[in-house]
Parts: sequence; structure tokens; C-alpha cells
Amino acid sequence: MSPRRGNRLREIRPGTVLATIALVVVSAIVLLPIAIIVFTAFKPAVEVNAFPPSLLPDAWTLDNVREVTSELPFARLMGNSFLFAGGVTLFALVFDSLAAYALARIDFTGRKVLLVAIIATLMIPFQATLIPLYQLVADLGWVNTYTGLIAPRAADAFGIFFLRQFFLALPRDIDSAARMDGASEFRLFRSIVIPNAMPALLTLGLFTFVNNWNDLLWPLVFTTDAEMGTITSGLTLLTGPSGIVPHGVMMAGSLIAILPLVIAFLFVQRRFIENIATTGLK
Amino acid sequence: MSADHVPVRRYRPPAPLGGRRRATGSQSGRNAKALLFLTPALIILGLFVVWPMISALRLSFTDASGFGREEWVGLENYVKVFTDSDVFDAVTNTALYTVLFTPTAVIAALGLALLLNSPHMPFRSFFRTALFVPFTISFAVAAFAWSYLIDPQVGLLNYWLRGMGVQMGNVLEDPQLAMPAVAFVAVWKLFGFYFVIFLAGLQDIPSSLYEAARIDGAGPWARLRRITLPLLSNTMAFVLIFATIAALQTFDQIYVMTGGGPYGHTQTVVMEIYESGFRKLDIGFASALSYVLLIATLILSLVQFVFFGRREKDLS
Amino acid sequence: MTRTRILTGVAATLALMAAGCSGGGEDDGPVELTFWHGYSEADGDVLEEIVADFNASQDDITINTELKTWASIDDTLLTALSAGEGPGLVAMPAERLPVYASKGAFASLDDFYADESSNTANLVPGAVAMEEVEGEKFGVPSGFVPLAVYYNTALFDAAGVTEFPQTWDEWVSASKQLTVDEDGDGTPEQYGVVLPDHATVANGLWPSLFYGNGGDIVDGGTAVIDSPENAETLEFWSSAINADQISPTGIDGIGADELFSGGKAAMTVGGPWMASIAAENEIDYAIAPLPAGPAAQAASAIGISMAVTVDTSDAEQAAAEEFLAYFLNEENSVKWSLGSGWPPLRTDIPADAVAENPTVAALTEISATGRPLLPGVVNSVDVLTAIDELTQRAVAGEDVATLLAEAQAEIQTALDD
Repeated sequence: MSPRRGNRLREIRPGTVLATIALVVVSAIVLLPIAIIVFTAFKPAVEVNAFPPSLLPDAWTLDNVREVTSELPFARLMGNSFLFAGGVTLFALVFDSLAAYALARIDFTGRKVLLVAIIATLMIPFQATLIPLYQLVADLGWVNTYTGLIAPRAADAFGIFFLRQFFLALPRDIDSAARMDGASEFRLFRSIVIPNAMPALLTLGLFTFVNNWNDLLWPLVFTTDAEMGTITSGLTLLTGPSGIVPHGVMMAGSLIAILPLVIAFLFVQRRFIENIATTGLK
Repeated sequence: MSADHVPVRRYRPPAPLGGRRRATGSQSGRNAKALLFLTPALIILGLFVVWPMISALRLSFTDASGFGREEWVGLENYVKVFTDSDVFDAVTNTALYTVLFTPTAVIAALGLALLLNSPHMPFRSFFRTALFVPFTISFAVAAFAWSYLIDPQVGLLNYWLRGMGVQMGNVLEDPQLAMPAVAFVAVWKLFGFYFVIFLAGLQDIPSSLYEAARIDGAGPWARLRRITLPLLSNTMAFVLIFATIAALQTFDQIYVMTGGGPYGHTQTVVMEIYESGFRKLDIGFASALSYVLLIATLILSLVQFVFFGRREKDLS
Repeated sequence: MTRTRILTGVAATLALMAAGCSGGGEDDGPVELTFWHGYSEADGDVLEEIVADFNASQDDITINTELKTWASIDDTLLTALSAGEGPGLVAMPAERLPVYASKGAFASLDDFYADESSNTANLVPGAVAMEEVEGEKFGVPSGFVPLAVYYNTALFDAAGVTEFPQTWDEWVSASKQLTVDEDGDGTPEQYGVVLPDHATVANGLWPSLFYGNGGDIVDGGTAVIDSPENAETLEFWSSAINADQISPTGIDGIGADELFSGGKAAMTVGGPWMASIAAENEIDYAIAPLPAGPAAQAASAIGISMAVTVDTSDAEQAAAEEFLAYFLNEENSVKWSLGSGWPPLRTDIPADAVAENPTVAALTEISATGRPLLPGVVNSVDVLTAIDELTQRAVAGEDVATLLAEAQAEIQTALDD
């Protein structure tokens, strides 16, 4: 054992140093825009467009934050964002996993065709179906309701495909054993497949939540009533006349909008990043 | 080098469109069961995705503006799609964007996943977290922050680079640099997600394979080529297909950063669809262009499936 | 409508589950109208006030305003109207009106204009021209103001420029005097003027310059961009920008406003909101008309139109027209002008009625030099794109004659569409 370990160390050390340096550089570039959002949010207006520019504010101020909270029905928009992104995530996880289970583990007629058809729905840009979709939701009488905001996203093709891939990877031995015992298909799904797919569900849940929280076009077009907007669509209201965006205020708004996501992510990241791949059966 | 000692066949990741099936019960029984599981999702997708798609298909044969008046115009919109020089430019731009974005994002994600899959990396957890954070930022905010950073007058990044003797100039107004810039922002925003998917794929590869290869004397490069990449091919197909779809439908950050400029150099197909539909109120043409994009995406994805499917067969 | 056909089966069940049902009869009782607009600053407060006064002045009509950004009105109006969920009244940038009108989104207001009680008789003619599409009027102006030069008086004093320039040549030489390149690196730290080369404020900078030399863009449905006058204009200004470095290049209208508000440009061509932006950034400013070109003292106008949408019943249309007439009455015209900072829309408002607001007074003086941008042009999107490409590439030093020929062809194609 020991000669091999020595061999490995010799093989990896210089590379590790180089790789660490590279990772530090990459992380710095990756985090720079986040830093600029955070610090500009606390810069007074005169510093925002000053030259030479600096990363940190000279005089920290809460003016921008105050302006965001006074110009936007801020608590309401945040609440809407939670309801919209949270509602979509909840429904989508349930509906997507049910569908993915059938596609991965039940051998029904037309399975492959259905799978390709589901994936194909991802290939048309949302802008193209927006108007017919809005007309449909209006016909259902759902304009400016949470139902109307959430229902169209309550299942999505990406989630179905994503979960199907994970479900396929789960060993089939356990469920055939359980099948022999006469367990119903739904019990297999609920007590065997789902518990073992938690990392995948967590990943998809995060993905769905983030994407809907950050979605601009759908809440913007769908809600004609400002009270029904989300924080992301509400940020557009910070644009001044003639399209000038006050950078400090917009950064403060952006910071407030991304904060819940970043906090939520940091909260789950250990479970998320460390466990993402382990299907729980190894 | 002989690969005989590397028991690759022992582990088979799921095929993107295949999968093993062990039949239990009657076919009609399985169909009924499957239908129960599929119904909720199919209702949602059918109603809110497929039905609007069918409506859009119908609209693509009309001159609809959205306000009630519409007339059947046959293939006129499709003829315009294939003859309009603006569409041709948009297709060229989208192709360029896809070529800039997809390989960069996928290779960056894969490379970083390989590095951070190694248990020897210090601060592994920190780096993994840091690299994923951009994914939680919306495109609009990301575009806004990057535009501010590279602003030719007050941009911090621009200023720092000038200090190092690099003249970046006015990137977003430069016909040659604008497209790489908007593609870069998309790489920044999206690679974290692909990175996590690759990490997942890497952890699914049994470490016993590497042990065996090491005993066999295979170096890191050989292990990458003979074990990692082949066993990652399904993950790769997954990431590539979704990265390509994301590239072909790119819109948000371009809309915010350049609006399609400088003079059309970042005008992509979806920008063109948006402009035709929501600015010129020509829904018929916008729908036709969308369907052409759908077909193109479908073909491209199938090619990717076939390519990676074959690689998987070579393996066994 | 075919799409109602899907209201069967599952969809119907889902619909029953839905909380509220929109629409419904509006025959009895007061008429309610939604009014979308993008007035978000002091102008928005005054508009709310006028609307509240109107609602209080009678019992039959209630107007509910909905504040959006000008850009998001454009994003949401089409979808909302296509589903019968649109507003009854909408305000939008004037050059966006023709495309909506031509596609049947707005009600014709010809009868309204013919009615004496509509208070439209004395509207600024250029403003009314914005509302006409193929001889029919589809809107009422809520704003019409020529672009003007907003200049930083502190920088003028520092550079010793005492007289505001009156001609193009004076404009260029004053700008040179105001351009400062202290470290001599070839990139001035302070520019005399900022002339964006694309997406200019209200798309009006270059049209204004074309007018100044006697040129134009569209004349009676025909593209006239490739005139010798326009070639001269482009050459004059691109040489001033490049050779004399009086303005940065590759800037758009928003960037121009930012440079001015950052104190890095002594002059900018802008709209009335520059007054409040300058004040916010603690910049002492003054307003002057665009220096006259060789042929004319003219400027493109920033226009906002209000229109009545097709999502209205007869009663609602009548209600909307009643509000428009109220908005345009003498008292409200003065109130709107003073509060918004835009010059009065009626020519019969005496100058001293708005003297208390110096910005309005200054802009009212030059109001007559304003020309509507591309009135009646349905495909203004492509025309404006062609102008942006033309000016951006001309300023970048490409051959003006070739560019003009291309622009001419593109604009004519857009007009023939």
C-alpha cells in the first residue's frame, strides 16, 4: 500500500498547487460581479459613476436600499416570488417525478416516442408560445391569480427528463424484489425510488426554484397588476425615464432579489453539492 | 495499452433514450399503470405547452397581429423566413454564439468538475460553492453587473485591465467583441449548473475502476481517456444537448446588454422572433421562425444523441 | 374564437376550480377604465392627481391607473389585448403608435377630434401629426417636446465659454474648448459634448442634425435619407467627433445621460428629465435649443401618445374620450405642464402661465422647432435600426455614400412592407 501512496503524492503535488492557483483565479473572476453588486448597492450616487472606479464604497450608504424599498411594494413582491417559485417547485417535483418514474421504470407502449415528444417541447422558444399561452390562461379566468402564474409551470419537460435519468440509474434489483412481494407500483415509487432519489430531487428542486425566481418574461407579461408581480419583474420598475438605470439603486434591488437564493443555496449546499451524485445505495 | 484489466463492462450508466426493461405483468396492465403516473404531468404539458405550440403553428400560416384580425397566408411566412436577409444574419449570429458558448461552458464545467472531484484538492467545498453561485443570479442581473464592470468609462474591470496595459475598449459596441462578450456572460451564469451535473456523473463512476487502472500502470491522461470520458458520455450527451438548447434560445442577457447591436451583430434568432412578434406585431412571422428554430434544434439534438450513442456502443 | 373550444374536459374542471372570473357585464353602474402609463417621476404624481380629480368630478367613470415602464408597456400590451385583458387607455412613446394602430389595436379618434368639446382644436400641430396613421387619428398627445441641449454651467465657466453656441460651427468650437485631455493620452477625461451614435435619446439626435442641414428621413412615404444634405451632415459630425474628439464614440443615449450626470461631458442632447437627473447628481445646468444648422433651427421631438384600445365597449370608449377632453382642458394643461416639466400641449396657453417653472418656460420657447419623429410610419422599428446602423458606422469612419445607399434601400423596404 505505502509505495503506491507515495507514488500518488509525488504525482499530484505540483499539479495540486497549480490547480489551486487556477481555482483561486477562476473563483475570483466568477465572484467579481457578485462583489460589484454587493458593494455598489452601498455606494452613494456620486461614487457610482466616478472615475477612477473602485470596488469598495468610500462612504457607505443605505440610500439605495431605502429607495428600492420605498419605490417597490417590496414585501409583497418578495412574497409573490416565494409563492410563485415555491409553488412551481413543489408541484413540478411531484408531477415530474411521477412522470419520470413511468418513463424510467414502466415498460409501456410508446415510451420512447413520448420521451422524445416531451424533450421536443423544450425546443421552441418561450417567446413563441407566450401569446397563445396567455390567451389560454385568460380564457380560464386566471389572469392576475396565483393559479394562473403557477399552473403553466407545474410540470416541465426538463425536470421529467432529468429525473428519468436518475431513476434509470437506480438498481432494479430492489424493486423487482419488492414487486415479487406484491408491492403496488405506487408504493415502489414512494418508498423505494423517491427516498433513493433525494439528491436528484434536491438538485431539480433548486434548479426549478432558481429558474422561476429569476424568470422575467412570464411574470412580467402575465401580471398586469403590479401587486401580482415578482421581485425579478418588479426590478424593471427601477428603470428611470428614458431607460436610464440608476446603478446603485438597481444593484441594491438585485442584491435584495438574489439574497434569498444565495442564502438558501448556502444553507443546502453541503447536502446539495456533496451528495448530489450519490444515489444513496452505494 | 491493453484495456483488458479495466472492467468497464461492469458498470453501465443509463442510456439517454434506452434502458433495460424487465417485463412484469401484462402490457395493457403496464400501460394503465404508466398512464396513472403520467397523467398529471401530461395534462399540464398538454394544456400549457403543447396547446400553445399548436396555436403557434396555426398562427404561423396567418398574418395575425394578435388583435383579432387574421388571414390565412399559406406558406408566405415560411418563404420569408428562408429569404429574409435579417433572418439569415440572425441564424449566422446564433450559430456563432452556439459555437462560442457551448464548448466553452461544457469544457470549463468538465475541467473544473474533474479538478474538484479529486479528494486531494484543498478548499474543495469552498470552490464548489463559489463556482455554483452565479447560477443563482438571474440573467438580467448578471447582464447588468457585467455591463457595469466592462463599461468603457466607469467599468472597474476595464480600469484594472488598463492598469495592466490591456486596452479592452468599448467591448459591447465592438462588432467583433460584442458576441464573445455576451457569450461569456452566459458561460459565467450557466457553467455552474453543468459543473454540478458533471460532478454527479463523476461520482457515479466506481472508484474501483481507477484503482484497477492504476495497478495496470495507467497515468492520469490514460485514465481520463479510457475510463472517465467514456463513462461520462451519457452525462456529456445530457449536458451538451441542454447547453445547445440554451445557446439556440439565448435572449435575456443580449436583450439587456446590447439589444442585438452593434448594428445587428448580436441579433440572434430569438431576438429576431421577439422583435418581429412584440415590436412589429407580426405574430405569424414570429411563429414561423420559431418553428424553423424548433426543427433545427431537434435535428441538432438528434445528431448529438447519435454521436454519443455510438461512442457508448464502442465501449461494450 | 377557436381557443374557447378547448374549454372542455379537464380545462373546464380546472377553470371551475379557479378563484376569480374576470370580465363580466359592464352595462350598469359606473364605467371602470384601466389606464397604463409609464410616468414614474414627478410627472406620475401630477397625472395621478389629474386622474383623481377627474374621478371625483363625476360619478359615472372611474379611471384606474397602472404604472409600468415604457418598455414593459410594449412587452405586455400585445399579449393583454390579444386575450381581451388589456387596458382601456394606454400611453406609449409616440413612434410606437402607428404599428399598433395599423394592426387594429386602437380605436379611431377622428370623431373625437371633430368634437369641439374635446379641447383638441389648439393642440401643437406637430404633436397631432404623431397621432395620424393613413389619414386617421388614433391618439391624443400627452407629451411633445423638442430635444434640447442640457449643459453644465460649472464646466462652461471653468472653460471660459460665456456664450451658448448658436450655430454648428460655434457648437463644435465651444465643444473643443470644453474638451479636456489633461494627461495627454489621447483619451479626454472631459468631453465638450456627448453625441451618441446609436439608440440616442428618443431616437432623435441624428434626425435633429439631419433637419438642421435641410435633410430628412422619410417624406410622404418615400425614403429620402440618401440626400447630399444628409451626407454632409454625417461627414461634418463624424469628423468633429473623430478628428476633434469633442465627443466619445460608441455611446448610446443612456450612456450619454450617464456621462453628463457624472460631470464628464459638458453638454448633452436630452429630454426634460435631464433637469431632475442633473439636480440629483448635483450638477448646475441650463437648457438651450439645439444650435441651428446651416439650413434650419429644428429638433426631433420626444412624443408620448395616449390611445383608446379596442378592448373597450362603446360606453368605455366614450368614458375614455371624456377623460382625454378633461386632461386637455386649459386648467389641466397648465397643471400637467408645470408638474411634468414638459411644455404645454396647447398653443393657446400663454407663456406666463408656465413661467413659474424655468425648465418648462425654456422648453416652451423652443416648442415650435420640434418635429414629430417618423409620424405615420408603421414599421418604425426597421427604419430606426437602419438609422442606428448608418450613424454608428459613419461615426466609425466608414464610407458615407455607401452607408447612405444601404440605409436608403433598407428604409424604403421597411416603408413598403
